[in-house]
Amino acid sequence: MTTTAMTAIETEDRRQYRATRRRDFAVDLSMALATILAALVIGFLVMLATGNDPVRAYEVMLTGPLERSFRVGRWLEDATTLTLLGLSVAIPFRARQISLGAESQVYAGALAAATVAIFVPLPPVVAVIVPMAAAAAAGAGMGLVPGAMKARLGANEIVATLMLNAIVVRVYDYLVNGPLKESGSSAVHSKSIQQDSALTPLSDWFGVPLGRANIGFGVMLLTAAALWLLITRTPLGYRIRMTGANPDFAAYGGIRVPRVIEWSFVIGGAVAGLAGAHLVQGVYGRLEPGLAGSLAFEGIVVALLARNNPLVVVIAGLFYSYLRAGGDIMEQQTDVGTEIVVVIQAVIVLLVTAQALPNLLKRRIARRQVGVR
Amino acid sequence: MMNEPWGKAGPAVAARQVTKTYANGVRAVRSVDLEVPPGEIRAVVGENGAGKSTLMKMFYGLEQPSAGAILVGGRPRVLRGPASAIALGVGMVHQNLMLVPSFTVAQNVVLGVEPGRRGLVDPKAAVERTARLAEESGLTVDPRARVEEVSVGMRQRTEILKALHRKARVLILDEPTAVLTPQETEDLFAAVRRLRDGGMTVLFISHKLREVREISDKVSVMRAGSLVGTVATADATERSLASMMVGRDLSLDVERSPARPTETTLRVRCLGYEAATGQWLHGLDFDVAAGEIVGVAGIEGNGQSELAEILAGLRRPSTGTVHLDGTDTAGLDVAGHRRAGIGYVPEDRLYNGAALDASIADNLVVDRHDRPPLARRGVLYPGAVRAHAEELIGEYAIRTPDPSVPVRALSGGNLQKVIVARELSAGPRLLIASQVTRGVDIGAMRFMYERLVAARDAGAAVLLISADLTELLGLSDRLLVLKDGRLVARFDDTTGLTEKRVGLYMLGVEEHGRDRLTVGLDTLTAGPEDPGETT
Amino acid sequence: MSSVLDVVLSSAFLAAVLRIATPYLLAAFGGLVAERAGISNIALEGQMLSAACTGALVAGYSGSVALGAVSGVAVATLLGVLLAALRLELGADAIIAGIGLNLLASGGTAYAVYSLLDDKGGTSGLKSGSLPSITLPGVENVPVLGDALSGQNLVTWLAFLAAPFVAWLFYRTRFGFHLRAVGEMPDAAESVGIAVRRVQYTGLALSGALAGLAGVFLSMGYVSFFVRDMTAGRGFIALAAVFLGGLRPWGVFLAALGFGAAEALAVQLGTLDVPPQLVSTIPYVMTLVALALYAWRRKRRGRAVPAAASL
Repeated sequence: MTTTAMTAIETEDRRQYRATRRRDFAVDLSMALATILAALVIGFLVMLATGNDPVRAYEVMLTGPLERSFRVGRWLEDATTLTLLGLSVAIPFRARQISLGAESQVYAGALAAATVAIFVPLPPVVAVIVPMAAAAAAGAGMGLVPGAMKARLGANEIVATLMLNAIVVRVYDYLVNGPLKESGSSAVHSKSIQQDSALTPLSDWFGVPLGRANIGFGVMLLTAAALWLLITRTPLGYRIRMTGANPDFAAYGGIRVPRVIEWSFVIGGAVAGLAGAHLVQGVYGRLEPGLAGSLAFEGIVVALLARNNPLVVVIAGLFYSYLRAGGDIMEQQTDVGTEIVVVIQAVIVLLVTAQALPNLLKRRIARRQVGVR
Repeated sequence: MMNEPWGKAGPAVAARQVTKTYANGVRAVRSVDLEVPPGEIRAVVGENGAGKSTLMKMFYGLEQPSAGAILVGGRPRVLRGPASAIALGVGMVHQNLMLVPSFTVAQNVVLGVEPGRRGLVDPKAAVERTARLAEESGLTVDPRARVEEVSVGMRQRTEILKALHRKARVLILDEPTAVLTPQETEDLFAAVRRLRDGGMTVLFISHKLREVREISDKVSVMRAGSLVGTVATADATERSLASMMVGRDLSLDVERSPARPTETTLRVRCLGYEAATGQWLHGLDFDVAAGEIVGVAGIEGNGQSELAEILAGLRRPSTGTVHLDGTDTAGLDVAGHRRAGIGYVPEDRLYNGAALDASIADNLVVDRHDRPPLARRGVLYPGAVRAHAEELIGEYAIRTPDPSVPVRALSGGNLQKVIVARELSAGPRLLIASQVTRGVDIGAMRFMYERLVAARDAGAAVLLISADLTELLGLSDRLLVLKDGRLVARFDDTTGLTEKRVGLYMLGVEEHGRDRLTVGLDTLTAGPEDPGETT
Repeated sequence: MSSVLDVVLSSAFLAAVLRIATPYLLAAFGGLVAERAGISNIALEGQMLSAACTGALVAGYSGSVALGAVSGVAVATLLGVLLAALRLELGADAIIAGIGLNLLASGGTAYAVYSLLDDKGGTSGLKSGSLPSITLPGVENVPVLGDALSGQNLVTWLAFLAAPFVAWLFYRTRFGFHLRAVGEMPDAAESVGIAVRRVQYTGLALSGALAGLAGVFLSMGYVSFFVRDMTAGRGFIALAAVFLGGLRPWGVFLAALGFGAAEALAVQLGTLDVPPQLVSTIPYVMTLVALALYAWRRKRRGRAVPAAASL
């Protein structure tokens, strides 16, 4: 074989490879859209079967969040927390650690942020940053417990994070009902945070009422960009990716796998802690019972939808929150329960995790193209 | 068990114009015609990827032909799965044994066709049946032992008993000797001959031409998915079979000049290792000098893996010292070992040699991702990683369209080239090469040999661990033999050394005295008395 | 202190332990069967929830407790089969698919209850009844234990029979033999002609059925109506018991019983002027510590983590 023939073959190989990559990307994108569409169709059928008017319900759900500026604010505020929680699990997931601990981390973060913001007098600006830092540190600490148990002892992280969630949620409940409860108030919540510690509302900047949306949204965007850079542009990110791809290979290559696992938990925990700070300093201005609702678990769904890519997590988080916001408006204006949104979300998760579907499709397309030639 | 009726005459198994094309377009088997009469031992040989395993899987129902017909007992059959092949009397012993580790030998033998009534298992009957089968066939096993606790040889005998218990009339053995000691191989061959004399048809898949000549009645040679030809074993020589396999006369003799060893690079003293599971090591003393290849021979599982992993820093020794260029490696982690100049080609590349779903580029930088030119001040530059990969892909002739291809898509030989490229491009002072040519084709094998010799000539110390004696004798300047975790032989000159002779030491028939093993080594205590270090 | 002892030694406390441990035991055995078949069933929670909701609704509308219980178990069984299908046919990750099924169950049950009864909280407006209690003749004459045992729900008896049943199934029957082989070495099982997928489907169906029985107990035994998200994480605790019990029937039995006892203790101590939220963390703290100790011991012994658990 001559050199020129060899080069010709290689160029041909390369062209074919690039074409395959382009086609796979197109299939992935259309699959994502088809998945969402399929889930909406299933929701449509469920509503129809339960005697509701799905057309009207979808109309309200899909246009409602944009109709008034404060509804947009409601959407962005929810998306901020949800995306931060999605980012918080995407990092350990990248190291193939099934951390389900965002719940414990977000409550720990909320407690830390509230404690500082309520009780420690600080000058302006610093009064915003210190509680957030405290929240990130508390979340990171909550991440370190299951992280170290997994990395040092090999304890199952799914069980450890679930147990920690159960513990922290109960301790939080105790503190809000007991020591931190505002005295003299009949409702259960803490004292309000100091004025200087509040995250600036977006309404102040845009001059339209945007509800409780605040500059936490910008913090979330910055965090996502930083995490994307961490994963793709730093040695630690490389170590996280290799640990996820094959821990035995990583260890053989000189990577300290236990330390990488711990870092992935700690970074994820810190981000979830920030979500807690956002809830306290930006949304509620104090501690309330069950402050994070089911957001921690839904963050997992967002991360999965985005295949743990930090930038895509933002898009998935915005989309998902849009559905949630629309669902609430739908329940107010029609008879359809907002839970239909959860059903739609669940169907999306199930379709996304069915990885054989896109592969089947890709293979079929590839075969057809071979046939055409 | 009811075997379906076989035709009176004709071949036990046959393939008629069988073609297998996988969904990804790879044509593994092309229009193969093969007939094996009852009571014959038929060897099927070929390079990796020649299609022999795929053909056997079709006989066993694990794959279905895309075109053509599979015949068992003289009739065309549709084998939808192993269950239908088993029902027709076809048994297969896979290369990687298909046993349940926590089950006993007897439980594994009866698995799938357990004795007992109404959905229950009768454990006593299972043990009795296994013991009876073992006695009849001469395949000795302990029916009550757990499979995870018995030797590889016994596991393989368990596999064969499994097939016998299912009343197999055709037995497919896929590379059965790869993990056996020479003695166990002999016993296996004796048992196989006995089975053949009792009417069993045996299909014997192998790379090892010497064993093929010893055991088979006829040899079928496959190349690139096609059947090249079938010859009577008596008429074949290793050389003629090899030329049929590769299509030209290819000698694996490696050209190498005599070694010019200089100063001692690796110095191992009193090295011991104790493990809850796995092989122990006892008091190993040896040196490897820069510019020489030292081979480590031994039947697999005699401490080679443990030795390699200790030297690479993946395990900690219980006693003794390891010095590299005078530096004590105790207390160094894996990265520290690599920084000290140790490269390691691991024995199982799929287990820890590569991250299969990561790109070629990422696989090439695992040991250097945190320093220039790839990373500066905590920032990793993807462009630099890609350029680094393109350079090595060219230099090591890795066949791939792009560095971003996941290594899962590469063939065995190409994947091994990625690993060797990474380890050699680090410029190691000591290269530990473990089973470096296992499962790669002859072209890649040759490539690896040339690179190892080139590394030696460039001044690296090379420790070559292999189960392939031909390879060891062809490449090693000096040779050590491990048995039961001890050094039992040391040959400072490998010219004229024969496989048979080394085999005697591997089996423990002969042993060198301690004087001969340690002659020329400096201090033999494990302490830091090395004068080069105290100054 | 003596008051605590009095509480713990009373037959009322023992009866509470048996009652509280019932859903843990059943769900944990469900988790065990799936785990040994090689597919982690993290959807135990959703299966319990769906069964609890279906049971209460069907019983309420049909007036037949038995029909309700059977439909509840059937729905959970179907969810088990669905998980297996997602894993085996569509290549889904079992953990993620399990999370999806849990979400589906949480949203679906709440949506169904709201659509049918216009109630956000549960089915307390619908009269659905309970499964029968059973008192063995003469058992009340046994001191302490007699009072604890008499009048326990049918499902509680079934839960305690589940341990010997699963042990017998695993180690004595052909199906259990195949199930363990499939979970440990699917290739080996397939190579001897065992229908691997069929075994896994059956295992996951059984797993779902056991979880379903646990769910039916919650809405038709523990109380007599369905409350939104009434499983309250029991499915996850049961999963913890599976690992804590070392993937062995009697180990899982002890772990699940331990969780039941700890929770019963928390309820009893709650009456003694200790903050109930803090007392109720006790079983979880215990699990966390036990998990760490168990992992540490296993690590010291140098044993490998079981394949399904390492993930």
